[in-house]
Amino acid sequence: MRIISKAIITVLVAGIATAVAAAEPIKIGLSGPFTGGSSPMGVSMRDGVKLAADEINRKGGIIGRQIQLIERDDEAQNERGVQVTQELIEKEHVVAAVGFINTGVSLAAQRFYEEAKIPVLNNVATGSIVTKQFLPPEFPDNYVFRTSANDTIQSAMIVDEAIVKRGFKKVAILADSTNYGQLGREDLEKALAKKNIQPVAVEKFNIKDVDMTAQLLRAKEAGAQIILTYGIGPELAQIANGMAKLGWKVPMVGSWTLSMSNFIDNAGPNGEGALMPQTFIQVPNTPKRKAFIVAYQKVYKVDRIPSPVSAAQGYDSMYLLAAAIKQAGSTDGVKIREALENLTARVDGVITVYDHPYTHDDHEAITMGMPVMGEVRSGHVVYAHEEDKKKGVAVKAKAPATGGKK
Amino acid sequence: MQILLQLIVSGVALGMIYAVIAFGYQLTFATSRTLNFGQGEALMLGALFGLTLVGHMSYWTMLPLVLVFGFLQGIVVERIGVLPALKTKSEFGWIMTTISLGIIFKNTAENIWGKDDLKFPSPLPETPMTFMGVNVLPMEFLVVIGAVIMMLAVETFNRKSIYGKAVVATSNDRDVAGLMGINTGLVITFSYAMSSMTAAFAGVLVAPLTLTGATMGVVLGLKAFAVAIIGGLSSGIGALVGGVILGVAETTTGYYISTGYKDVPGLVLLLLVLAIKPAGLFGKTSIKKV
Amino acid sequence: MTIALAILTVMPQIWSNPYYIHLLVIIGIYAILLLGLDIVVGYVGEVSLGHAALFGVGAYTAGVLTLKFGVPFMLAVPAGIVVTALFGLILALPALRVNGPYLAMVTLAFGTIVQIFINEMTFLTNGPMGISLRKPVFFGHHITALDYYYIVLTALVLTIVVVHRILKSHLGRAFEALRDSPVASDCMAVSVYRYKVFAFTISAALAGLAGSLFTYSEEYISPNTYTFELTILFLLAVILGGRKTRTGAVLGSVIIVMLPNMLSDIELFRWIMLIIMAVTLVYVITALIHKTHTWRQFAVPVLLVGSLLIMGYQINDIIEYRLTIFGLMILFVVYYLPDGIMGFLRAFVRQYRPQWIHKHEIIREHGDQEHVWTMPTQKRESQDSLLEARQVIMQFGGLKALDNVDLQIAKGTIHGLIGPNGSGKSTMLNVLTAIYTPTAGEIIFNGQVISGMTSSAIASIGVARTFQNVQLFGEMTAIENVLVGLHHAFQCHLFDVMLHTRRYRRQEHETLIRAASLLQFVGLANLANEEARNLPYGKQRLLEIARALALNPSLLLLDEPAAGLTASDIKELIGIIQKIRDHGITVILIEHHMDVVMSICDVVSVLDFGQVIAEGKPAEIQANPKVIEAYLGSGGAS
Repeated sequence: MRIISKAIITVLVAGIATAVAAAEPIKIGLSGPFTGGSSPMGVSMRDGVKLAADEINRKGGIIGRQIQLIERDDEAQNERGVQVTQELIEKEHVVAAVGFINTGVSLAAQRFYEEAKIPVLNNVATGSIVTKQFLPPEFPDNYVFRTSANDTIQSAMIVDEAIVKRGFKKVAILADSTNYGQLGREDLEKALAKKNIQPVAVEKFNIKDVDMTAQLLRAKEAGAQIILTYGIGPELAQIANGMAKLGWKVPMVGSWTLSMSNFIDNAGPNGEGALMPQTFIQVPNTPKRKAFIVAYQKVYKVDRIPSPVSAAQGYDSMYLLAAAIKQAGSTDGVKIREALENLTARVDGVITVYDHPYTHDDHEAITMGMPVMGEVRSGHVVYAHEEDKKKGVAVKAKAPATGGKK
Repeated sequence: MQILLQLIVSGVALGMIYAVIAFGYQLTFATSRTLNFGQGEALMLGALFGLTLVGHMSYWTMLPLVLVFGFLQGIVVERIGVLPALKTKSEFGWIMTTISLGIIFKNTAENIWGKDDLKFPSPLPETPMTFMGVNVLPMEFLVVIGAVIMMLAVETFNRKSIYGKAVVATSNDRDVAGLMGINTGLVITFSYAMSSMTAAFAGVLVAPLTLTGATMGVVLGLKAFAVAIIGGLSSGIGALVGGVILGVAETTTGYYISTGYKDVPGLVLLLLVLAIKPAGLFGKTSIKKV
Repeated sequence: MTIALAILTVMPQIWSNPYYIHLLVIIGIYAILLLGLDIVVGYVGEVSLGHAALFGVGAYTAGVLTLKFGVPFMLAVPAGIVVTALFGLILALPALRVNGPYLAMVTLAFGTIVQIFINEMTFLTNGPMGISLRKPVFFGHHITALDYYYIVLTALVLTIVVVHRILKSHLGRAFEALRDSPVASDCMAVSVYRYKVFAFTISAALAGLAGSLFTYSEEYISPNTYTFELTILFLLAVILGGRKTRTGAVLGSVIIVMLPNMLSDIELFRWIMLIIMAVTLVYVITALIHKTHTWRQFAVPVLLVGSLLIMGYQINDIIEYRLTIFGLMILFVVYYLPDGIMGFLRAFVRQYRPQWIHKHEIIREHGDQEHVWTMPTQKRESQDSLLEARQVIMQFGGLKALDNVDLQIAKGTIHGLIGPNGSGKSTMLNVLTAIYTPTAGEIIFNGQVISGMTSSAIASIGVARTFQNVQLFGEMTAIENVLVGLHHAFQCHLFDVMLHTRRYRRQEHETLIRAASLLQFVGLANLANEEARNLPYGKQRLLEIARALALNPSLLLLDEPAAGLTASDIKELIGIIQKIRDHGITVILIEHHMDVVMSICDVVSVLDFGQVIAEGKPAEIQANPKVIEAYLGSGGAS
């Protein structure tokens, strides 16, 4: 009898222990700028990720465990990003991470994830080299993934819209001095070169700059017919307002950040007609998108999502990660990476349906042809081209990779 | 040439803002030999308070209320930050306390109004007027006129009214003024109140031209410092001239060299003036009796 | 301190969480900077608002050299020190020429300029994109984070030792002197300007060291780090930790590094506030019971702590209020804890165990007769008049304090200078010692024109003085005051001080004996280790004379030395002055005590309304009707 009761007790204890251990949440790092000029993106991204995490948790979590998001504000500052990343890894012991809005922050900080073999999904940062920082032979495996549209794609789209669709020949580039702005400018110059066009003026401005008169004057003097931008909301608004102040109104086409709420609000009527590439426009033209928009509006009590692209990409990144963890069956970083690179299940996301989005050498979920052009109209971002809106009903997906693992 | 004219005009408008804030520095330095290192934050609070009010009333109704607010804010700064520090008789004291009050104000403003920059509705039309090919915003005109009126008002007050005379007496010789029955403590409080009032006024003047936010005062305060030193801490004309010099230097550097460096000439000028003639271009050097 | 060192060395072997090791490294780096900042703020008493920028200069020097030019660690760090020291020098030279908060403004402007340049000079610094590098490689071994911890620890210990040595030497005394009384300091040949610049440069060098170490620690630097907020944090650390102590700098560093961590965790914040509240209440209640203070004095601090506690329970996210808490902490420290936590602890301990706390080093050297005098080292021209003032005019606005004054002081005499109040006597002394620049006229000393020289230059060629209003270095002891006068005897370098070479130690020993002898000469030997401000008034005046004699002067200017002395003290004073003259030192004596003047002066000049109205032997002057009229008015008789 004694032996049996001891055995029962041991089993019970073991069972409880495993249950307790199993009930231990999966810690996922979530870092981004929740304050400052980039905050509409950071907050929307965070809210999108949380929305997804809550949905997953309500359905029982992943591999029987609940998701626990560990949030950290990197204030869009590179060194702060470094700090919070180290904190997330060393102090909080996260198993994976989503986030990174600002390219500079990402480039400075994700090295630590790579070294610790913890997968990180950049869900908003668009600098082209973000997913190319760690390549073989020095780094046999890359732990950095992305769910946003990188700047190579965006700059090609911007140039296509300005030069091909609208026929302008003299362009001026206005970019901010951060990694994002400067790397984006380089991408724009490369895309322009492909069309044999040199910008007539290339200007720089700092974050928190208010007066853009000098740069705009120089662009005007050079005869620019259109301004291509790479910056974030507040400064972009100052460009728009600056043009109005000078009485010089030319079209503004730029990177996706022209969709930020703090650009639209601060530029007011001066922001009308700005064009930018978007992976997601807040228009419920598919059932999945409608469900997402409605859920977001309900939970966060807003009508217009501050940065719809950030929210959608954040949402999708969480689902992708969850699918990978489920496939890996564990929280081991190496296994999660391998799962991401060989995702068997289709993930039904807001932006698209993901079918084998990543391979060992390709960590970009979004490719050319998937994003569309958006336009600012009456304080909202809408489809610039009607045909995109109609086509949007059939959600564009990434063409499946030819062959399996490369 | 037209560009240069445009830059000069913008520079003058900018410089007048600096001059008004610098004027505030002079007011407190004259009576107490202290400066409010949080002067920029006084401007910021005035602007944000004005922004809140302007949602419910017109710009012109809001102006006197902001002046009162600035006045009260100055009293608070003086009572908490300066008066006790003056008693410790070390410079370190009031420098640190006015800085820390500035920090507290900025952080509180961030929590009340948010960290983002907001748009201040302009009372005047936002389309520029054109003179000889140069674009001037009506608001920029208002800034220049407002700044001059404010400074004239304070100067007249100092010269004509009995309270003003008390201020002048205290600035000349604090101890003797005290012996003559002037409550020098109250005079110092009053000068801080006036100083913050002019700063708040400058805040609502400049807000429609730039963005309004918790951090707007930091750089303005520093540049106004430079203006006060360059022009001379004891000369009102000096503040005006210094402000214009700084404003024009800024806009021209921004255009001809690079916008990143536009703040540099002012600061370098500050260092040069301190090295060569610390009393400022228009200041008087005084001899200390031992 | 050795215990702490032992713990710090062993601990990371046992508990090696990289996150906390990294925090300790940051604490060490900041502490190095704070030790330097303390010299400027705590000792010299100036406010620097640019130390974050200096930190940045050091960091970027090391970063740029490593990244762009491949300079190795062992060279990049010293380069960082030197470059930052140069920046500090260039900054201090203009700013410290004048009084007032000018250094604060200049350093503020400097900080902004540095940030702008780092941001804009992208070809050098990569601008906002920052510089990424890796930790150094020594002999093929890539330094790990743990190795780096030991490197920083070593640097910190070395810094503490070096700073300690500097501050305990004549240099440290010079820093304290120029803060206590800049006028006296200049007149004792310790040029206030030069030493302020020196202090600032040293602190810049340490900031540069800290910055260079920081670059390798973080492996990524960008312009955004070196903000005004960081500078304020540094200042808070220095004053909160406790100025003028090494432990205070380290303590301050711990607090500001751990602060954001504490503040990001609201629960921790609430616990800490509860503890502070409890401690405060205990202190307040015991004080009230012992009736040492009234409740009114406690009202504000208790209210402050209480409202912070309540705020802790009201808000959920303390990070947003982080800066407000900094600001409140600064206010609190400036008003209630001016000597910081260390100061508070020391005062507390001294109440119960006074012998454990020494504010000053007790000097036990004894002096003797032979060490009182040493030969002055300057060449003597064979002129009969040692000092000549020619047609000196001193005008303050509309008032002519000195009106065409001609004065000739013969060598080896005691020359009296008398006159009613306001006649210009002290003004004359101030003109002679270059505290005022004469509006017109010339002063010739020993054949050399000295009008136009600085006070400290004049002091170093042999003109010493005392002051009408005692200008002692109040917080220093009597013997330390005299040691400042002996500053010129230290003919050694900064490196001698840092390394405690034999040359330094010998000079320190000799001057101590000399100082003790001087004190013995004026009869203050038993008060050598008393703080100067605690001495009775008469003894303070004697101390001033001893300090002046330390300069080895050939001319001694005494400004009303007998004021406030008792009759017996005056007799002693007369004896001392006579001995001084007997030794060959010329004396100019301003006095109102006619008996003193008459008994020892060889010649007397009389000033009235800035003009010399009579000159001659004491007896002649006494009978001169113009002199009598000047003192008593017309129609009076003595």
